Amino acid sequence: MSLDVEIQKLEADAVARIQAAQDMDALEAVRVDVLGRKGSLAQTSKGFGKLTPEERAGAGKALNAAKQALETALEWKKQSFAAGALNQRLRAEWLDLTLPAPGPRPGSLHPVTQIQNEIEDLFTSLGFAVLDGPEVETEYHNFDALNIPPEHPARDMQDTFWLAGGNLLRTHTSPVQVRGMERLGPPLRMIAPGRAFRNEEVDASHEHTFYQVEGMMVDRDVSVAHLIYFMKTLLSAIFRRDVTVRLRPGYFPFVEPGFELDIRCLICGGPGCPVCKQSGWVELLPCGLVQPNVLRVSGIDPDQWGGFAFGLGLTRLAMMRYGIDDIRLLQSGDLRFLSQF
Amino acid sequence: MKFSYNWIRELVPALAEEPKELMRLLTMKTAECEGLETVGAPLEAASVARVVGVEWIKGGHNQIAVVDTARYGRKTVVCGAPNCRPGTLAVYVPAGAKLVDGVESDGMLASGLELGVNRDHSGIVELEAEALPAPDTIIEVDNKSLTHRPDLWGHHGMAREVAAITHQPLRDPVRLERLPAGAAPVAIQIEDLALCPRYSALVFENLTVRPSPLWLQYRLEAIGLNAINNVVDVTNYVMAELAQPMHAFDADKLHGSTVFVRSARAGEWITALNEEKYELSASNLVIADEKGAIAIAGVIGGLASAIGPDTKRLVLESANFQAASVRKTSVALKLRTDASMRFEKSQDPVNTVRGLARAIELLEEVSPGIRVVGGLADRKAPFKTPAPIEITVDWLSRKLGRSIDAAAVRSILESLEFCVDEPAPGRFSVTVPSWRATKDISLKDDLLEEVGRMIGYESITPQAPLIASVVPPENPARLYHRRVRSMATAQGFTEVYNYSFVSEEMIRDFEFKPEEHVHVTNPIASDQTLLRTSLLPAIRKNIVENSRWRSAFRLFEIGREIHPRPEGLPDEIPHLVAAMYEREGDGTASLYELKRLAECLMRGCELRPAAARVFEHPERSAVVLWGGKDTGRLFELHPSLGIEGRAAVLDLDLAVIERLDTREKRYQPLRRFPTSAFDLSVVAGLREPAGAIQQRLAEAAAADLVEIEFVRQYTGAPLPDNRKSVSYRLTVGANDHTLSSDEVAAIRNRVIEAVRRAGFELRL
Repeated sequence: MSLDVEIQKLEADAVARIQAAQDMDALEAVRVDVLGRKGSLAQTSKGFGKLTPEERAGAGKALNAAKQALETALEWKKQSFAAGALNQRLRAEWLDLTLPAPGPRPGSLHPVTQIQNEIEDLFTSLGFAVLDGPEVETEYHNFDALNIPPEHPARDMQDTFWLAGGNLLRTHTSPVQVRGMERLGPPLRMIAPGRAFRNEEVDASHEHTFYQVEGMMVDRDVSVAHLIYFMKTLLSAIFRRDVTVRLRPGYFPFVEPGFELDIRCLICGGPGCPVCKQSGWVELLPCGLVQPNVLRVSGIDPDQWGGFAFGLGLTRLAMMRYGIDDIRLLQSGDLRFLSQF
Repeated sequence: MKFSYNWIRELVPALAEEPKELMRLLTMKTAECEGLETVGAPLEAASVARVVGVEWIKGGHNQIAVVDTARYGRKTVVCGAPNCRPGTLAVYVPAGAKLVDGVESDGMLASGLELGVNRDHSGIVELEAEALPAPDTIIEVDNKSLTHRPDLWGHHGMAREVAAITHQPLRDPVRLERLPAGAAPVAIQIEDLALCPRYSALVFENLTVRPSPLWLQYRLEAIGLNAINNVVDVTNYVMAELAQPMHAFDADKLHGSTVFVRSARAGEWITALNEEKYELSASNLVIADEKGAIAIAGVIGGLASAIGPDTKRLVLESANFQAASVRKTSVALKLRTDASMRFEKSQDPVNTVRGLARAIELLEEVSPGIRVVGGLADRKAPFKTPAPIEITVDWLSRKLGRSIDAAAVRSILESLEFCVDEPAPGRFSVTVPSWRATKDISLKDDLLEEVGRMIGYESITPQAPLIASVVPPENPARLYHRRVRSMATAQGFTEVYNYSFVSEEMIRDFEFKPEEHVHVTNPIASDQTLLRTSLLPAIRKNIVENSRWRSAFRLFEIGREIHPRPEGLPDEIPHLVAAMYEREGDGTASLYELKRLAECLMRGCELRPAAARVFEHPERSAVVLWGGKDTGRLFELHPSLGIEGRAAVLDLDLAVIERLDTREKRYQPLRRFPTSAFDLSVVAGLREPAGAIQQRLAEAAAADLVEIEFVRQYTGAPLPDNRKSVSYRLTVGANDHTLSSDEVAAIRNRVIEAVRRAGFELRL
């Protein structure tokens, strides 16, 4: 048997062994047996000395071809083992992602906080400052400075919690208007969201603790047309659609003229439904041009400056937005309710 | 306030608008109308009927009556009324035929109650003339929207609005010429004209007290007033028409011939018409005769001088009282009447004699033969004529944001009976009528409202103002609270809102002292008596209540603590209280979760064990320090607070944190040379705070320390039972070279040495 043939036979046997190998160890054994320093191919090359130069060239070629073929076969087999091992690992790593994540569920912000944040952002984008005032107020800031002197019947509209020492719990966020004018002076654009208090019995639609946003703009020439513009812009943004508004007379001592602002019923759009008590309109907020005495007592000259003011019920808005039918839930601390938001 | 549509139409005879449309117009231009109500509906189909004959049905209480009706011809009805007699002029209502006591009754004869004209159901209505009242529609107006309008507390005032809105003429029901001339039979003495700017009175004789005619009863009934007798009904009618409250005294029950208007004497008593006894004080104004108080001025009359069935002579009072005084008295006595409600809106003093003139005519109608005695008694403060208000069309247009022409302004103001003078084109000098001048209108802005509402606000096009675009001033506290809220919710806490009120009961277990709270002087309920100085009592309530439904939860509140100060307004301090509840478990996890929340808010904050307050678990409470400043506390609620399970609480002062939370940050260059790390395990007593060990290690490593990191804590073999091992990884380095292994070893030895000196052992 010529050396060529012997090499080819060796190669064929080795390839068969490689293909039959079951693991990396078997493969390594084949490599050592055939390609190792003392392996069968190395042994074969020892016979080269007896060959003629032509024969030697032929045998050398066959030897190289065999080595290359075997290395390719080895490499291919190795890769197939690696791929198999990886596949096996991956198959073993099945994970049930439908199980809940460990750790806490995210909490929720109170629905009034959510509405309030929206409104603050909206007004900030329109250039309004967001101001705070105390919840315990002086009679002066809550009433007198807003053109509601003692014995004024308008004090009846606002059942007041009086405190020892003569202060009171603010009955509206309007005193922050006064504080804003005192602090910032004109021109002025501000809102004041916060908690207000009225001394009344609590039931499904009445609360002694509720939330409002007071708003005010003071500038050189402020008109009813500007007020309507701002209210329409604001309400369209809050309700995320174009709303129709109307003004009608309303009496609040700190504005003149004073208005009740109604919006076209968002449920029926006008023909009338239970929500709007068949009127097609829903009363939403009181507003008006700032009464000149209110400007004057806060150090603003009403001949030089004018303004508008409005009060928006955050509690009411939250109830409308989320369809909440019992006002008491808002102060209940009941997580079955609060975690819905 | 209820308004009768028919009454308004009597005063605006050309009124064409139906009630529904009128209600809409009034709502848009005058005051908020809340609804419509039909009264006297059966009158629609009713007919005047003369009883021709009656016959008792045997064994029953009913009679068969044959009646001749004006609209339906002769009818036979069954009637149980005792006053159903031949000749009676009654009201027949067709009601379909039905059998009563075996007799077919075709319709019925109606009582006042059945018709809705009064509350009488003792018999059938007996008419005096062949005129039948008509059904009426009542427009209910929100009283709040009439607060500033004394004139709208009567039909004539409302009719003036209707006339102006509909451009129709207004009829004045008052004929002042009816006021008698001559000497007054009573004298009037007013102590203080500021409290009683006018007191007018008439004396009548030859009175017959009896029920009012049906039309008058019906009018009062329709607007919710009770018919009483002809005299009282006339005073109520005038009040409902002209907004002028009146009071009638039985002249024969008065002592002397002088009516005094004075402050009550201390300790003076009066029994009022409502049969209640009131103790008066000097701040109450009374009407008095020589013997004492006969009425509480502007509020209610006295019982002793009330009109009775036998009254023959009467003193009719029509006065004007200061709004603030009436209101103060009415609030103090907790007695609000139709009169006090009107006076506290500042009524027009001119109106007193108008009321009397109207009353003369009405009394003559309801008590034939009645006579006025002598002339008008009338005392009054001099009238202050208000100065005219100057306005320009230009100013009105600018304020409204729409153009308006001078003729329209004039026409609106004149329709409301303002007196308008135009000294130059577009410039007006406007005199306010007396009934709008008491308090309602004194500024040009008030006239702006008159013009605006009548021209219609719907005619104004919304317009964006031209204003400077400026960044508004920031509110850092509010922005900070928002950040806190979003971190808390991200950590799984749900926001609650609690009341600013606490009760003594709620704070008892916390041993907060009621005297250190702001007190509410007029609470409605016992849980509203104090303002909270801590959010904790309400949070505890939240925990107890929610633990009924859930075995574990997290919640938080941001709210203000209100602490009284000796002077001025109390301190309002914003706090965050976050709480975690677990029904099972040892409570450890909750405390560390809350600690993590604190660390999220205050990077690098430290906890220092602190003496527990009475409501804190004595071994689980710590002060939260940030930059060395006390910012609040972390603790477990004491088991004695009645919580089934465990609750951990973090209570932080947000005002302090917000101040410490400096927003300026500066970058540190990244290290150029590698660092080295080694672990040290310190053995210490079980209750030795790890924080103290860590601090010791860090101090010893001093400037070489880059970072110190907790690795683990271990108890158990081979350590003795009373020891624990706490392991830290210290990373050390230098800014200018890589530390050699000798240098690292030297630092490590130095740290070990220092820790040993401090009395700790090391596990090496």
